[in-house]
Amino acid sequence: MTDHHPQPEGAPSPDEPTGAPAPGHLPEGLPPDANRRLAELEDRPGHKGMFTSDLSVNEFLLIKEVGFHPLGFVMGSSIYHIGIQTRRWSQSQELSKLTEAMYEARQLAMDRMDAEATELGADGVVGVRLDVNYYEWGSDTAEFIAVGTAVKSEDGTSYRNRQGKPFTSDLSGQDFWVLMQTGHVPLGLVMGTCVYHIAHRGVGQTLRNAGRNVELPNFTQALYEARELAMTRMQDEANALDATGIVGVRLEEKTHMWGDHTIEFLSLGTAVADTAVDHTIPQPQTIISLDG
Amino acid sequence: MTARDEVRQAMTVLARGEPGAGRGTTSDLTIDETLLLHSIGWEPVDMVFGVSWWSIPWGVWQWTTGEVDAASTAFAGAVDQAATLLRAECEKAGGAGVLGVEVDVRVSSHHASVELSGTAVRRSTGAHTGFEFISDLSARDFVLLTRSGWWPLGLAAGASFVVAPRRTARQWASQQGQNAELPNLTQALYLAREGAMERMQQAGAQMKADGIVAVKLREGRASSSIRVMQFVAIGTGVHLGSGEHQSITPAMVVSLDEQVRQFDVKSLRAPGRR
Repeated sequence: MTDHHPQPEGAPSPDEPTGAPAPGHLPEGLPPDANRRLAELEDRPGHKGMFTSDLSVNEFLLIKEVGFHPLGFVMGSSIYHIGIQTRRWSQSQELSKLTEAMYEARQLAMDRMDAEATELGADGVVGVRLDVNYYEWGSDTAEFIAVGTAVKSEDGTSYRNRQGKPFTSDLSGQDFWVLMQTGHVPLGLVMGTCVYHIAHRGVGQTLRNAGRNVELPNFTQALYEARELAMTRMQDEANALDATGIVGVRLEEKTHMWGDHTIEFLSLGTAVADTAVDHTIPQPQTIISLDG
Repeated sequence: MTARDEVRQAMTVLARGEPGAGRGTTSDLTIDETLLLHSIGWEPVDMVFGVSWWSIPWGVWQWTTGEVDAASTAFAGAVDQAATLLRAECEKAGGAGVLGVEVDVRVSSHHASVELSGTAVRRSTGAHTGFEFISDLSARDFVLLTRSGWWPLGLAAGASFVVAPRRTARQWASQQGQNAELPNLTQALYLAREGAMERMQQAGAQMKADGIVAVKLREGRASSSIRVMQFVAIGTGVHLGSGEHQSITPAMVVSLDEQVRQFDVKSLRAPGRR
């Protein structure tokens, strides 16, 4: 890999201080404090760099085992004010404005984490965690945060994805080791989200169904569709990366601050690709552990 | 023997310091961890503590937004002092390092306190090498780390305290019902996290570490005001000892264990009897 890695749009060079933020939006690129912290991590003449990582010792050693070295703990965050969208009491529908908010805020956090990793010249980010925090001082606001450990291959092979960005992955160090052992590489963390309003049951329907075993088609359909939408969007992101598959997919359902009938369906996973077609997977050994 | 005599005896035994001189070893390590330590020629010696409280000047939280430097200075001072005390206790007990250190941080409006507790360990050959490290890694992690050629150096910690800025009435009004990022809040919290991590890195650089592993970033409310947030980053500084990184060559295993069935005593009771 060369040192001339593509910078994300608008990212300033590390020695160029960013100006004061224009009112209403954040300055482009990384904040100067982040640049300073990342610069301290890098080796320079007259300055010994170091790495930081939230990986456990086991994960650290496993990452070393597959030929990667951790570079630094990277993160990105965004505090976002989520808009309001009216929902009809008796209609199941996607709330596109809220979906957009959840997408954009996570994307902002992940882009900033990517920018920090790019700044360090990383090949990828492992152990990515996406969190949403709510604070008592902010109504309708949430903090979206992405953290992970930037890694770089020790033999100089580039593992960046086809967009020229470091790969991201929410896999643990252990999963990363297994993935690389079995002839796969991670390409990127892919996600799909859908905020959906599920219609209430009408009075007539409630009365008709009282005391009976029946399927509730409107609920079934609404939940089904919302999940499918989230999964499809995640798959689209994986297709854009030319992935052969998505591993470790999690489907989370959260109501956040919208009450019972409005639910966010979030699917998250790591898009992967084969490195070799004829790869033999080592036969695992079976053990019985004697721990209590 | 009265309670007072017992306390007096305990004090005399503790004052002897050196274990083996009339007192056994104390440690909060599990049996597995102790065995693992012995496998690389180390042994636990004693449990050691270090506690430090620092005061925070009155009024630093009021009428301000952004970082509160007085609080992070108090935190840094408390960590240093607690680590020094921990080290002194460890040396007195004849240990070469402290493992499994638990870090308890409390910050209120007027003081910051840091409590460190862990198990002092030493080489079982009895060779005195002086004090080497403090680490929050478990004995298991220590064994794995040293086996692959790395050594812990010390605890690297950094904290940052921030008073979340308010939105102006105009911003508040213009954002009602809209999807929008809140730049001043985002920036304040971003910088606070970066600040905590940077201070941790500087602590690592001071001990000439090659890296900091197992970093934990703790966040939460500090002091009684809901707008005051604390970010604490703690990890163990490590360095590559003499030589190169040794491969640990893991093997893939499938565990054949099943979950141990819980035996429910209540269900054995005869019906109708309590």
